[in-house]
Amino acid sequence: MSSKQINYFVTTALIAAKLDNANKIAKQLLLTASNARAVALRAGDSAAGFKPLTDFIDQLARVTIASSKQINVLATQLSRVSANKMRTDNAICHFERADRIATDYAYVESLSPAYGRIKRSELALNNKYVGEIFRLNDALDELARELRTAVILATLSRVEASQAALLYQESLNGVADNVELSARQIKTLIEEAKKLAQELHQDANV
Amino acid sequence: MQTYKIFESKHHQWLVFGRDPEKPNKIIDTNQYMVVTKNNALLMDPGGIELFSVMLAAIVKHVPIEKITHLFASHQDPDIISSLGLWDQALPDATLHSPWLWEGFIRHFGMDNIEYSPIPDEGYPLRIDDANLTFIPAHYLHSSGNFNVYDEEAKILMSGDIGAAIEGADAPLYVENFDEHCQKMTMFHQRWMPSNRAKNDWVERVSKLEIDMMCPQHGRIFKGDDVKRFLDWFYKLEVGTALANKT
Repeated sequence: MSSKQINYFVTTALIAAKLDNANKIAKQLLLTASNARAVALRAGDSAAGFKPLTDFIDQLARVTIASSKQINVLATQLSRVSANKMRTDNAICHFERADRIATDYAYVESLSPAYGRIKRSELALNNKYVGEIFRLNDALDELARELRTAVILATLSRVEASQAALLYQESLNGVADNVELSARQIKTLIEEAKKLAQELHQDANV
Repeated sequence: MQTYKIFESKHHQWLVFGRDPEKPNKIIDTNQYMVVTKNNALLMDPGGIELFSVMLAAIVKHVPIEKITHLFASHQDPDIISSLGLWDQALPDATLHSPWLWEGFIRHFGMDNIEYSPIPDEGYPLRIDDANLTFIPAHYLHSSGNFNVYDEEAKILMSGDIGAAIEGADAPLYVENFDEHCQKMTMFHQRWMPSNRAKNDWVERVSKLEIDMMCPQHGRIFKGDDVKRFLDWFYKLEVGTALANKT
């Protein structure tokens, strides 16, 4: 197995792990949205502008959870395809070595049909592999776009918190802090995953 | 990889592949056997991944690969069958005969095309063209689901790990001095074979067969009277001794 093939496995596993972490943070964000809704309800009219924001926070968390799950599935599929690709590449090496050893042997030609099958399989797996990387990159880009909303949400939350009664301001500012922190953490994880996916993309095109 | 023809009749022949001078030092030397009939071939204990290329090359010296329609794995060990994932790509229409007990384990080596024919504990006969072979139970010797292959016409018993000896790839093919050879077999059998009861049951069963050659997966082939000598020696040998040595 070449070091590049080892990297395929490690990289896809790392992407899956980063998305798993993003998923956990998004689940905490769901709790934040639920908490914010309760505080806004208690604050009544003084936090009237905050209540619709909690729906957006909730929606952002749910979108992140759904996307990270989907990307995790894509990373797992990619890992499976790269394992099959490695096995096929390995089989080709073995067949080529056997062919070199058996150059003058009576039935060396009988290796050709099997070798042809494996080469066709390699080509199909390569195409599938590149396609999976494209899908993974697209999904990560999509999630990164969704996360831009989080920055606006955090800012709006802070503005609305300042309008609320003094008694609730600390809690509502806490919500804004949580949204901001969660969004920043998820964004970092997605950027790291994107960087890894781009490395796979570059390797596949070499 | 060296190839030797050890039996030939009008129906079929037996080939043994082994003594590979290019084998990596740290992997155990193995013997691979093949029965070639009119239209088919059975490859027995085809070996590990490390061996696949040289085995494939050695085979096409004698038969086209599509002639191999049957594979046999006496048990689940890597030196027996870890090459399965590669054979699976070379022989899409073959059948693998192997203990039922190990199917779920052996499939981990990769098997999408080859058909698995699970051998029940009591074994079964296999007719390939005009050759009549039988899978003989050899459970716990050393694997808990384990078979030998017996050929009634050739009077050959492919005995898997039974009769194995650990020695260099330059060792002669046949046992030449039985008493000297025992020294090379003792530790292997005492350490790898766990059950005296299973061992003696096997000796009693195999003693009823007519055997001219006993062919293990490691080491040398026993011929003529050395087969009987081996059965007597093995019957008396205490196996499964690793625990006893610690007390």
